[in-house]
Amino acid sequence: MANNLGHWRLAWRLLRRDWRAGELRVLLSALVIAVTATTAIGFFTDRLQRAMVGQSAELLGGDLLLQGPRPLALAWRQRAATEGLATSETLEFPSVVVSGDNFQLAGIRAVAAGFPLRGTLRTAATPYGAEQAVTTIPAAGEAWVEARLLPLLGLEVGGQFELGSLALRITRVLAFEPGGGGNFAALAPRVLINQADVTSAEVLQPGSRVSYISYFAGSEAALRRYRTWLEPQLEPSHRLTDVRHGPQARPSVGAALDRAEQYLGLASLVAVLLAGVAIAMGARRYSERHFDVAAVLRCLGAGQRDILALFLPQLLWLGLLGSTLGVILGFGLQFGLFYLLRELLPGTVPPAGWQPLAVGFLTGITVLAGFALPPVLRLKQVSALRVLRRELDPMPLRGWLVYGGALAAMGGLMWRYTGSAALTLGVLGGALAALLLLGLVAYALLRASRRLQRGVGVAWRYGLNNLWRRPLLSVSQILAFGLTLMAMALIALVRGDLLSTWQTQLPADAPNHFVVNVVPERVGAFGDFLAAGNIRSAGLYPMVRGRLAEVNGEPLAVRLPPGEEGAGAVNRELNLTWSSELPADNTITAGQWFGAAASGEAVVSVEAQLAVRLEVKLGDELRFNFGSGELAVTITSLRSVQWDSFRPNFFMIFPPGLLDNYPATYMTSFYLPDKRKGELAQMLRDFPAVTVIDLDRLMEQVRRILEQVTMAVEYVLLFVLLAGFAVLYAALQASLDERLYEGALLRTLGASRAQLRAGHLAEYALLGLLAGLFAAAGAELVAFILYQQVFQLAYTIKWPLWLLLPPVGALLIGAVGYWGTRRVVRNSPLVVLQGLS
Amino acid sequence: MSQSPEGFPILSARGVGKQVAGVSGGSGKEGGGLTILSDVSFEMAAGESLAVVGVSGSGKSTLLGLLAGLDLPSSGEIHLAGKCLNRLDEDGRARLRGAHVGFVFQSFQLLPSLTALENVMLPLELAGVAAAAEQATQLLARVGLAARLGHYPRQLSGGEQQRVAIARAFAISPSVLFADEPTGNLDAASGERVSELLFALNAEQGTTLVLVTHDERLAARCGRTLRLDAGRVVADGQ
Repeated sequence: MANNLGHWRLAWRLLRRDWRAGELRVLLSALVIAVTATTAIGFFTDRLQRAMVGQSAELLGGDLLLQGPRPLALAWRQRAATEGLATSETLEFPSVVVSGDNFQLAGIRAVAAGFPLRGTLRTAATPYGAEQAVTTIPAAGEAWVEARLLPLLGLEVGGQFELGSLALRITRVLAFEPGGGGNFAALAPRVLINQADVTSAEVLQPGSRVSYISYFAGSEAALRRYRTWLEPQLEPSHRLTDVRHGPQARPSVGAALDRAEQYLGLASLVAVLLAGVAIAMGARRYSERHFDVAAVLRCLGAGQRDILALFLPQLLWLGLLGSTLGVILGFGLQFGLFYLLRELLPGTVPPAGWQPLAVGFLTGITVLAGFALPPVLRLKQVSALRVLRRELDPMPLRGWLVYGGALAAMGGLMWRYTGSAALTLGVLGGALAALLLLGLVAYALLRASRRLQRGVGVAWRYGLNNLWRRPLLSVSQILAFGLTLMAMALIALVRGDLLSTWQTQLPADAPNHFVVNVVPERVGAFGDFLAAGNIRSAGLYPMVRGRLAEVNGEPLAVRLPPGEEGAGAVNRELNLTWSSELPADNTITAGQWFGAAASGEAVVSVEAQLAVRLEVKLGDELRFNFGSGELAVTITSLRSVQWDSFRPNFFMIFPPGLLDNYPATYMTSFYLPDKRKGELAQMLRDFPAVTVIDLDRLMEQVRRILEQVTMAVEYVLLFVLLAGFAVLYAALQASLDERLYEGALLRTLGASRAQLRAGHLAEYALLGLLAGLFAAAGAELVAFILYQQVFQLAYTIKWPLWLLLPPVGALLIGAVGYWGTRRVVRNSPLVVLQGLS
Repeated sequence: MSQSPEGFPILSARGVGKQVAGVSGGSGKEGGGLTILSDVSFEMAAGESLAVVGVSGSGKSTLLGLLAGLDLPSSGEIHLAGKCLNRLDEDGRARLRGAHVGFVFQSFQLLPSLTALENVMLPLELAGVAAAAEQATQLLARVGLAARLGHYPRQLSGGEQQRVAIARAFAISPSVLFADEPTGNLDAASGERVSELLFALNAEQGTTLVLVTHDERLAARCGRTLRLDAGRVVADGQ
């Protein structure tokens, strides 16, 4: 009958009018929150991934990368040449650089001409100055350093610092280096030097922590052939990486950032879910308030399709408007995230692609379709007869339609996020079960609060009754706010409490410096140096690097359950030591300490937790691989070790004499108060080969990273909180007509405004209080588990949670509820009753 | 029974009854359900006017709903503008209403979110009329509201709202106009003005008028009166 253009025009007019009347505020704000959260996170992760993965080859510095503890074997280099592959070798090691009284642990990388094979080095003349791509490398005697090293050393470009016994002049600021950053060096500022300088610096000793990285570049076919030839010959300590293969293709970003990304994604999903609930409530009210309109339209000759043609475009426009606003806001807010995480991120982050825009839009439309479409579809069921009989509501929606739409929308979004159908189903199922369980807890809280009813006045009873007679709505709000408050409290707890708890559990004079790479010839002199300075050390322990190859004749790779093969301590080279005495904070848990008499015997003492992971017991035989030889030993004791004592600790301790044939360096740890740190410079001048690891600075860095990550997560939790408020607002709106009517009736019957206000305040303050209680209990439980199981710290009840969260919840939600219901109190009863008739 | 000039009735009911299962407030009990209407028959020629009168709960509004195709009878047949309503689905009946039927309700039923002009334009737009705004403006001028085109229903008095509703009802030049207690919510003066307008426009456009009321004076202005009691026609006369 009618032309489509007319429908669109009419739909637009209805929408505009609804907008002016404030009918769409809930829907739109909830939608904007969902899209903003998704887009901000989307942009953030997209840009991050572009920075990290998109330029893999350039980031890697070559097409193929081989990392190992020794220089590239001659045969391997020759084979690469025969295949026509270009090769470039670098070596990386941590070392302390010194300038005057300033010293700093740095990640040193020594490169040769030709580096990098892919991508370019970028440098600047001044710190954070204009970047230039360069095709050369530092000349001998020169160094290019990361900008952040300069203030740490108190130097500017042109200044000199010492690396071991060599003085190097800083000629450029290093802005970007392909293939840079192993996990250790990621924390330390980077220094790029010429390979020719490594020998003269005398910083490398046998056993030093050096990583040799060989880069290969060439045709795909040649690379494939070389790879096939090389792979069977690799030792466990070798790592082969290329742009396509496996997780190693992604340069190490740091677990913190990865985890932050996951949390952010999850938080944004929670925001989307909450916003979806608000949207569903808003859409339901929108639909119900348009029953009469639909009925009149039906009466005037509109068919079911006409009704849909009038209301669906409104939904679509709303979706487009909300998504556009959300996408713009999200784009802006991602900069906040980058700012909060600035120190964790690579210097330059490329601009984002268009995908996050599309994803934001898609999320908006999906959420709207999943949560708002079912209630709006109900409009087409409205009977024209309603114009004569107003009580004639359309059939209620079928449950599967309402929840099915929402589940499908959330499942779709989650699937996009996880990329795995199985994981999505698992998470969705788990989340549903958890929500159900938590909902029951919230319901129990609500039930328990009914006891309050006794002994309160009529106004309060009226308010509290409002809470109890819509239990589903109340429970969902307790959950929304309770979970949000809980997450925020937990994060604050972890950030503030965890580090300080850990630090207070350490004795005041716990070692705060580790020294490694003390060569055997200088052990005596080093001990004298410490004694002369009255520096109390944990004792000097020899350290030999070796790899556990077999248990009872069975290769380790076969023995370990899948997933464990890569586990740090087991598969990387272990630091092995010997001692005739049991270290002070070790305790024998099984067998007997071998003691001084066992010198030279083929026995070993194993750390107890490692023994559990390796499934070894007393009497088992372990075979170690040292590169230059092998050694088989029998386990005669298991030890428990206090790892956080900051004393040198070892998984494996051998009797003296057994490891004499292998290159060893010595290590120790000691406590040096802040004001005596100047003495370290002297130590490094006297012993240029040693590496000092300053735990205070490391801790400070860890704390800063933790702070940044938690701030980023809190930033996103704000979206969740906003979404929670959207739910509250939607719930307020949903019950507003009823409240207005009841309020008017109550006032007609003689209730004062103050009584009504008190009722509303009671209702929302109690809601907030219950959410706060829920949050406190939840945070306490999760924190208890975290402390006990994950961090292994003593746990004390967090009273501040209980004292703070319930009143905060009551205040926050009480205020919003009070504000949201002010119309009920403000309007004259007559106007309300007339308006509703 | 009167016939239309072409020889067939514009509106006819034959043995119309309505029963509802388990709804209170009906007119009587019959079998398991409640009988709201039973065995109502009449015919109307084009241009005729009919008042349906009776006490509250006598089934007046139900009959109006059935005649306008807002609902279907449980028994009997209704023909409107040559179509048998029983054989049309809900959308088919809506199309028929859109083309032939106008409504005036006791509670006005204007869309609160549209202005007076937009409310009158609504049926024209639904019918795809290009010059909807011009026609609607003229009609509003005809009911004396030329100065209130841009006002929303809540800015108008009850009488003014009902005049907007009348303008809307006549917008598509309906064959049949159904009016349900059109003055029921109005004071005497406004009611008088509204009924004047209703009958004047009815006469101008030659519309068939079905008016439900319990206002005997208003009923007296119609050509015929159908009196209902407990769902049955107890009187049908000029």
